[in-house]
Amino acid sequence: MRHVRAWLFVPTPLARIALLRILVYAFVPLDVLVLHTSGFYHGWADPVWYKPMIAGQLLHLPPASVLLVELLKWGCVATALLALTGRFPRLAGWACAICWIWYQYIAFAYGKVDHDRGDFVFALVLLPTAGMAHLKDGRRSEAAGFALRGIQIVAIFTYFLSSWAKLRFGHGFEWLDSATVARAVIRRGTPVGELFLQIPWSLHVMQYVMFFAELTSPVIFFVPERMRRLLVGAWYLFHLSVLLTIDIAFWPHLVMMLAFLPLEEYRDRFVGFVGRRFGRAPDVVDEPVMVPDRSP
Amino acid sequence: MTASQLTPDTDDVRLGGASRVWRAVVLIVACALFVGGSLVGDDPWWPFGPWRMFATATKPTGAVSVMSVEVQTTASRSWTAVGLNPPSIGLNRAEIEGQVPQIVHDPSRLGTLAESHAELRPDSPRWTDVRLVRRSTVIENGRPTGQLRMQVLAVWHRGQGNKP
Repeated sequence: MRHVRAWLFVPTPLARIALLRILVYAFVPLDVLVLHTSGFYHGWADPVWYKPMIAGQLLHLPPASVLLVELLKWGCVATALLALTGRFPRLAGWACAICWIWYQYIAFAYGKVDHDRGDFVFALVLLPTAGMAHLKDGRRSEAAGFALRGIQIVAIFTYFLSSWAKLRFGHGFEWLDSATVARAVIRRGTPVGELFLQIPWSLHVMQYVMFFAELTSPVIFFVPERMRRLLVGAWYLFHLSVLLTIDIAFWPHLVMMLAFLPLEEYRDRFVGFVGRRFGRAPDVVDEPVMVPDRSP
Repeated sequence: MTASQLTPDTDDVRLGGASRVWRAVVLIVACALFVGGSLVGDDPWWPFGPWRMFATATKPTGAVSVMSVEVQTTASRSWTAVGLNPPSIGLNRAEIEGQVPQIVHDPSRLGTLAESHAELRPDSPRWTDVRLVRRSTVIENGRPTGQLRMQVLAVWHRGQGNKP
């Protein structure tokens, strides 16, 4: 039990959560304005198409209207921008969570649920629990460790549960030998995907790789740190290949996977590189510059 | 902040007992709901529903169907396929495909698409007739045979009520 507790609340640099927060809240406006806009247009769909989901029935959420979608869309943007500043992390963060989750609810309550966005709900719910965090704060915090751990767990859970869903809805192991990926390529294949369609065994093998990678995904928590980062890289490669073949990217999930990475180390290395490359370390810009005394 | 304080021996910001408990409870409840959604739930459980992207098994030999909506407008009397996307009709293809039985039962739903389109695209010609068509691509051993099938499922005419 003590091990679990230590693992769940592992002290983690506050700078890391501050960096992840910037990436998450920069993503939110991009998401609602550019990447995922179907909820917005539901404001114009006739209410006859509204199919309330369980959360909407419990909370008595109405069908979308033009006013509601405009409010939620710009509410997402405003609260995300406030959260981006790092001030009022809890208030801004949870307000942003409410706006984004409601906006996604509207997107999905018209008969089609995108199955890649439920985990980001918890990125937005958990991130504010870390509280105040500054980009240059070198201290480690248990609250930051928990927020990152929670995001990691939910993100990996989605892979594992995806393999389970294939067994549940794909007639058990029959899924492995089905033409599901071929169907996806026929319906929305890219030129790269079309190439693979001409070699059906390649898509077939991909299904095996995908399924077993998902099924074994929780091992990421039990391997050495170096291996863990390689596994995160492997998942990003997997998502890149999905993007290239069927033009689908699980954007919110891709942001969540960053919770595994030592973002503050990458930043410091990048800043150091820029400093060496351009002959000046931005780190020490704030300090008084020593000017050689040229007076006679 | 009552829950966290600086401990004297390290710089780590610690959490108090209560702060740990509610955080752990939130995470456990979320995980339990995810498991429940995956075991017995379905899409309406969102965000806890099953993670079923590409989870259905497509038979290697059979047909892959795609729905399309075709319209006649005040400018053209020939049936023309239109994009099933939110900026045009407020709904996307999958949402239409997910409610095909309701459309077949009540073709006047197709009329609401014409109205949404008129609001979203006021400058394009008004839709006078809308029909739902299923197009199927036949596949054999995971490869398209080149054979296509087409079937009209529902028709709506402006001013003619719900008669297909």
